[in-house]
This record gives sequence, structure tokens and C-alpha cells, in this order.
Amino acid sequence: MSELRLHAVSLTYASPRSDTPSVLERLTLGISRGEFVVVLGQSGSGKTSLLNVAAGFLEPTDGRVTVDGQAVHGPSAVRAVVFQDDALFPWLSARDNVAFPLRLRGVTRDERARRADALLADVGLEGQGDKPIWALSGGMRQRVGIARALASDPEFLLMDEPLGALDAMTRDQMQELLLAVWSRSNTGALLITHSVEEALFLATRVVVLAAHPGRIALSQEFDFGRRFLAGEAARALKSEPGFVAAREELIASIHQPYFEVAA
Amino acid sequence: MTASIDRAATRPSAPARRPASQRFKRYVPLLSGVGVALFVISIWHIASTSGWVSAIFLPPPSAILAAFGRLIQTGYVDSTLLQHMGASLARVFAALAFAVVIGVPAGLLIATSPIGRGVLDPVIEFLRPLPPLAYLPLVIIWFGIGETAKVLVILLSMIPAITIATAAGARSASKNQVNAARAFGASPLQLLWHVLLPSALPSIITGIRIALGAGWTTLVAAELVAAGRGLGYMIQSAAQFLVTDVVIAGILVISAIAFAFEALLRFIERRYVPWAHNQ
Repeated sequence: MSELRLHAVSLTYASPRSDTPSVLERLTLGISRGEFVVVLGQSGSGKTSLLNVAAGFLEPTDGRVTVDGQAVHGPSAVRAVVFQDDALFPWLSARDNVAFPLRLRGVTRDERARRADALLADVGLEGQGDKPIWALSGGMRQRVGIARALASDPEFLLMDEPLGALDAMTRDQMQELLLAVWSRSNTGALLITHSVEEALFLATRVVVLAAHPGRIALSQEFDFGRRFLAGEAARALKSEPGFVAAREELIASIHQPYFEVAA
Repeated sequence: MTASIDRAATRPSAPARRPASQRFKRYVPLLSGVGVALFVISIWHIASTSGWVSAIFLPPPSAILAAFGRLIQTGYVDSTLLQHMGASLARVFAALAFAVVIGVPAGLLIATSPIGRGVLDPVIEFLRPLPPLAYLPLVIIWFGIGETAKVLVILLSMIPAITIATAAGARSASKNQVNAARAFGASPLQLLWHVLLPSALPSIITGIRIALGAGWTTLVAAELVAAGRGLGYMIQSAAQFLVTDVVIAGILVISAIAFAFEALLRFIERRYVPWAHNQ
């Protein structure tokens, strides 16, 4: 089983002042294929830095990142990334955006189009391949972004608040889509979010990050996402007592350090 | 009466015809422009035919029209209007081609490489504020009075605009777009070709637009010095003999060409970089 692992990773942004606090401090986190890890935390807790280190966009100041035990440096197609601002290429059609990773690898034009269209259909955008990016809604853009990430046939799917900019209705739909995509692609998913409900619904494991410096405050397994995939209704799951109790507990655990500081 | 109401009620989705006053509003800018132009031409006509202004300084509009006819058929200073236009356009387009070939890569280097920025930025910033007329004599001393010198001066006046616009455009690619391409395994060259260059494209077109403006200005100046053909040369020669109608006709031709370029570039912008205005 493939595993992406952060070993005692610390990150300090270079600054002329020597007293800059670490963004991340000796943080260890593993994501296996078939797992859906959701990182929760307040703004400034280092969630995005954590993802950037896992993706290889940032080199940790200390510690290392491994894939299957091998140290990795810099980004690679094995760890595909979905961004909050979608980071699509507006000069390309939806299809060509999805086909972008294939184009870099020299896949032929026909083969690219065929695979991109199949991926677009997987995210519910069948027949929309010719549309320009600027003609798509926020939710549709994110779907294109997810299809593009899957095009590189990744082992890990790293997502930085991919649903953060969407309205509540679209967000609920997209959560269900993410679960379907994750289980079909058999990837290991790492998702960053502010939303406790989203974390609980999607995650096989929720990790709560405490700030200053960023470290893991809590790590807990859940099975709501798997139950959804097994056929249970999303609304029923999100309103059942176990879900509500877990949600309140997680909210409390996120806010607790703040009250301690205030006291 | 009843029938027409019924028909209207069964087609509620049919687009309502705009009232006449609203349709008229669309043409207000055009009509007022044409109106003012006609007014100015009338005043001009009255002024030069009634003797308020000497016809040597301001020939009537009809004389300009006649001058156009002569310029097209027999020409002025040994060349027809088309030949003068051809000579000038060839210089501007030769200079533009070189300016794009040099300016776009230079802009990309400035945007992507610290060494490129260190070497090229001072050169561009040295060139940018210089009026082309200031270095024209030096270029003539070095390259003579042939075509090379003229194209070179126009080229020098175009390069800064294109380089600076390209650099700014390449920097406009978002950090996440660059990161996405890197994560999918793009090499530095692929990143340049597939991400930085396309995101710079709208900006490059704007740069070309500004460069063409600078190029025309410089063209006329360059042709004032020892040219045998060209719109600038034609105007200058006509001015020396007070052939005012040819001077005015030449000015109108230059203005029409510049206007056509602007329209062409706007068309290219809408057709090829529609995302730039639809973000």
C-alpha cells in the first residue's frame, strides 16, 4: 500500500528577524492510498503550508517527505493538487485543461481528447469539453480542476479548500462528487478545509491542527463518507446524532486553545 | 384587437421589441461624432473659400479630395500614394517583426530569470524614456541613411513597450497556475511555453498596440532625413513647397492607417484572447 508521509516536518519562513515562530513544528502525518485525510484548523494554523510541503511546493526547513519510504523533493505528478482558486488555464478549453498533464507527457492529440472527455464525464461534465473556462460557473470550474488532477493518474490527491469559494448547495453536491471520485480513483486524499461538517462527512480520518506553531492537536477516524458510498443518504448521515455529537466535539477542540489564551 | 392581444399572450418568451427611442440611443455616439465632423468640415470649407484664411495655408476640403485623386493617379515626388504607403508600411512592419522577435523573449527573460532581469532591465529602462529623435542622428552616423538606419530607429522605439508588456504579462500567471503546471511535471521550458507565454499574450497585444503608436511617430521623423519614398518624406517635401493639400492628405492617410491598425488589433484581441476580458 502506497503511502505519502511527512516525517517530523518543521517549516519556518525565512525572515530577517530571528524570532519568527515556526509555521509547522515536528509534524508527522501519513496518508495511505484508500484513505481520506481531512485537515481542519483555524486560519493561520498552517493548513495550507502543510499541503504545500506535502505537494513539494515548499521544502521543509527540517524533517522529510517520503512516498513509499523514498524521500521526495519538489512536486511530481504522483501527488496531484486541486487549488481553491482552481488555477485553471483560461486560454484552454475545459477539455484541453483536463488534457494538460497528458500533453506534457507527449500523449497524442486523439488519445488526450478521448481520456479528457472520459474524465469530464466522471465529474459530471459530459459534453462540456469545448466550453471555455471563463464560461463555466465556480462549481464547474472546480470539477474541471478535479478532472485535471485525475488526468495525471495520481496516487495522491491533495486539495487546498477546493470547495471554499462555492455556495452551500453546490458545496454539498461537490462533497458527494469528491467521495465518488476518491473511491473510484483509489487515491489517498488529503483535503484542507474550514468546515467541520465537510471534514466529518468526507474523512476517514480528521486531523485538527493547532496554531503557533502548527502541530497536530487531534486525530480521529470516521466512517460517514464510507457509509455514504455504501448507499446511505447524505442528509440523513449529516443529521444523525453521532454526526452532530462528533461535530460539536470537533468544534470545541478547535476553539479550546483560544479560550485558554484568553483566560 | 382581441386577436393581437391573444397572440402576444401565447408568446410570453418572445423578446420584446425595444421602443424606437431606445434603438435610437445606440447610435447617439456615432451620430454626434458624424455631426461634429460635418460641422467642422463645413466651417473649414467656408473659411477657406470665403477668404478668411488663405487657401495656401488651408485649402478647402474639395482641394484635399482633389489632391487625393492626383496622389493616387500621378503621385507626388516621383511616387504614387500607394508607393509612399508601401514604403512606410514596409518599414513599420519590418521593425515590428524584429521588435516582437527581440522584445518577447527579452520580456520572458526579465520575468523568469534574475540574471535576465539584471542584464536587460537597465538596457530597456535606458532606452524607454529616450525620444527616438535624440538617437536618430547617432544611428545615421553609424548605419548611414539607408533602410537599415530607418528600420533600426523604429525598432528601437518599439522594443521597450513590447518587452515591458511581455514581462508584466508573464508575471501575471498566478502562483497556483505555475505550481499546478510544475506538479503535473512541466519542465522549465514547458512552463514557459504552455503557461507563461499564453498568460502574457493579452499583455503582448497591448504592448504591440503601444509600440505601433511609437513606431508611427518615429517613422515620420526617420523619413524626414534622406528618404526617397514614404509618407513622412512625402509630407516633408510637400511642406517645403507649401503644397498644403498634399500635407493634409498625407496626415489623413497616416491617421487612417493608424486607425485601421487599432481596429485590427482589437479584432485580434477579441478573437484570440477572449479570456482576457471575461475573467
